[in-house]
Amino acid sequence: MWSYIQNVVVFAFVMGSIYLLIALGFSLICGVLRIFHLGYAYIFPLTVYGTWMLMMTLEWPLIPSILGMILIQFIVAILIYKGMIKKYLATEDVLLTALLLVALIVEQAANYFYPIQAGVYLETTLAEGTYQIGEAVVPKQLMIGSFIALAMTAAFVLFFIKTKTGMAIRALSQDIYSSKIVGINVETLYMFTMMIVLLPVIIGMLIVAPVWSVEPGMGWMYMVTAILVAVLGGLGNIKGTIIASFLIGLAHAFVSFVLGEPRFMNLSALILVMVILVIRPQGLARSESLW
Amino acid sequence: MVDLELKRDRIVIRFGTKKWEWVLEPRYWRNTLIWAVILFLFPTVSYFISPGLINTMISANIYAAIAMPLALMTIGTGRMNFGPQFYIGVGGYTAALLSIAYGWGPLTTLPFAILMSMIAALLFSPLVIMARGLYYVLLTLLLPLVFLEVTFIYTDIFKGDTGLFGIVPLLDTGNAKNNFLFIGYFSTVIMFAYLWIINKVLKSRYGLLMAAINDDEDVAHSIGVNINKIKIIAFVAASTMVGIIGWFYAHYFSSFAGITYLPLTFMLKILLVLMIGGRAQVFGCVVGGYFVAFLEMLMIRFMGPIQPLVFPIILLILLFILPEGLFGLYRKRRYREYLPTIHVRR
Amino acid sequence: MEPLLKVSNLVKRFGGIVAVNDVSFEIYKGETLGFIGPNGAGKSTVVNCLTGALLATSGKVEMNGVDITRMKPYQRAHMGLSRTYQIPRPFPELTALTSVLASSISGKRRIHQSFQDAMYDATHYLEFVGLFSKRNILARDLTFYELRMLELARALATTPQLLFIDEVMAGLNPGEAKNAIKMIRKAKEEFGITVFWIEHVMAVLMEAADRIVAINYGAKLAEGTPDEVVNNDDVIEAYLGRGWREYA
Repeated sequence: MWSYIQNVVVFAFVMGSIYLLIALGFSLICGVLRIFHLGYAYIFPLTVYGTWMLMMTLEWPLIPSILGMILIQFIVAILIYKGMIKKYLATEDVLLTALLLVALIVEQAANYFYPIQAGVYLETTLAEGTYQIGEAVVPKQLMIGSFIALAMTAAFVLFFIKTKTGMAIRALSQDIYSSKIVGINVETLYMFTMMIVLLPVIIGMLIVAPVWSVEPGMGWMYMVTAILVAVLGGLGNIKGTIIASFLIGLAHAFVSFVLGEPRFMNLSALILVMVILVIRPQGLARSESLW
Repeated sequence: MVDLELKRDRIVIRFGTKKWEWVLEPRYWRNTLIWAVILFLFPTVSYFISPGLINTMISANIYAAIAMPLALMTIGTGRMNFGPQFYIGVGGYTAALLSIAYGWGPLTTLPFAILMSMIAALLFSPLVIMARGLYYVLLTLLLPLVFLEVTFIYTDIFKGDTGLFGIVPLLDTGNAKNNFLFIGYFSTVIMFAYLWIINKVLKSRYGLLMAAINDDEDVAHSIGVNINKIKIIAFVAASTMVGIIGWFYAHYFSSFAGITYLPLTFMLKILLVLMIGGRAQVFGCVVGGYFVAFLEMLMIRFMGPIQPLVFPIILLILLFILPEGLFGLYRKRRYREYLPTIHVRR
Repeated sequence: MEPLLKVSNLVKRFGGIVAVNDVSFEIYKGETLGFIGPNGAGKSTVVNCLTGALLATSGKVEMNGVDITRMKPYQRAHMGLSRTYQIPRPFPELTALTSVLASSISGKRRIHQSFQDAMYDATHYLEFVGLFSKRNILARDLTFYELRMLELARALATTPQLLFIDEVMAGLNPGEAKNAIKMIRKAKEEFGITVFWIEHVMAVLMEAADRIVAINYGAKLAEGTPDEVVNNDDVIEAYLGRGWREYA
């Protein structure tokens, strides 16, 4: 009994923080830009395979590859914003299809150039081995990763509360026209938002790449979790996303350790989200705003 | 009881206190009839020239037959459903499991496939009422992915890894080429049936009520439209029609694997049928279906393994150049009458 | 005489704010009841509660003796309640004809009416308000006055017994305003409906209304004939402020 609780608590904490990193970007984009960025799944394979490609073809060591990949991601984000989102903001079904296609193209490109057999492996381990907390055994990598995740989230929250740009983005998420009138540069801020939300996801991916599986279809697995967390927490609300990610981490941990059926993780999360949506259709968030 | 009148330009049916009128307008039938004749001659012609083309035609008909109920669902519920392939999975697995377990033929599994699709649709219909645009899109997107996971989890029943084999085929005349021919005609009949039904619904009073709901729900509610009933009926009917296609796939290929139909790659094809055919245009779905099926066939034949990568790229380019879709171009030049062509509200 | 609509102790709360505070009145068949009050008095909230757009917190609304307090809007439409909106809400993608047609096929239950018959019915209502020539124009391309007339036609097409008219004069120039009043009077005579008229322009209600109800801060101030209400001290104070006697 005691070992169950320890396992569940520790893994709920660890997985919840990683999910938080992943879902934060999705929630922010949906809340601030008010678009359903269904192509969010492209970020996950692009991180891993982009770094791998730079390492293999240009023979760069790890750190420059990561920096190069971040640059590529920024450029892709700007292109997507200028090419698709701006053009099709009014006709949403075309926009959604186009974004989905982007995700699909990245996945298929990864599959074509580096199929599963190619053995893609990123050596981004920060620490080898495992921690032993009571009766729970956690890879050190994930534990350090969760603290990094919490630090990043705190940084984001401080950014949105304390800085002028953060406040401008919060204003933007509530009303575009009023923001334009008071002199906020909407275009630049949109692009800025699209770029900064890449950072937590990239860091999250780099943390989990050595521990969890890397395959071309990995985007969709994380996307499912990101969607569930964002929907449960209320889109665009950071407080809600934090609570929701730990709730879903708890559900996954519970299903894995107490029920002993790790295969049911996503299904149980979906049922949890649906049940809570029946009681509270707008998600767990208390307000429509960013914080 | 039922009173039938045949006047010069219309057919009037009276039943109890209700009355239906069907105005016949033959001047609008010419184009449709020409294309129908061409489509019916196509299988016979290609039977002698290149039987492989019948396969592509069957794909095209089925893509159109999935896209048309999706258009109906979009117009009827006012939201875009990103996971209709969930019902293909439901219908297909029902047919497959029953056929393998009890050895039933296609005609016997059909009612069960319809029943299971209806039950599944009713189960998820509260989503239509409760979840507003954004949440609805996301949750419908998730359903097929979760179903796919379930097939892998319960792999002893669903055989998620390998797929189910040994389903009783639709038709067996002994000759493979003849099989193709008859199934080709059968698929064309299904496609035309769906086309006729959905077109009639959209041009009738229910189509108008759906248009009103799409434009302004609250106002429609206050003039006496039961919006929840219409949304749920549109959702369940469209989902059942998609479930029947799942049944067709199971018996046509004599095998059924969730991995072929449930992930997003399949949904994208259907979405593109809709987009290329002009958004939510019923006749456009047929055009879109043929376009996507033949494009896919040509690319597989001439490009080989790089096809899964180039296909979405081409479709992305097409999406940019032709936001109205191919059929939309046609409609813009030959605009005949006002049909409730609806913008989907969120 | 049995009232057509009887409102008893209607209360509507939004969280801590009491928007409608214990309002009671009755409407009799065939009369025109005016509804006045300064801005923010709660007039639209009362109408929303009566037509079903909002559910009342407590109180009772009865129509022809039937309790309709908890009924959904479409059920009330089937019982004979219809409304127009303060800011016209047309169906933007539908033509004028199809807008009224949508009303015609979903209003009160009619027998032996097919889609085509409903279309003829809709043209009748369009012609009644004078929009027949604009029947194939998209609703979002109509002028403001035509939009108001379209609203009226759409409300009439549901063959109501009681019609709620919400500030139909706002935004109309004097010629159009006179036409609008004439139209409503014609509608009353020809279709035999009862009218519940919310209005800011007092002159209109003075001649058109049989009785007037005045509210302020969600509570009823006065009820009676137009002369009585206009000369009521509380009503004048609500509009002009306390201490009006010194400046009157």
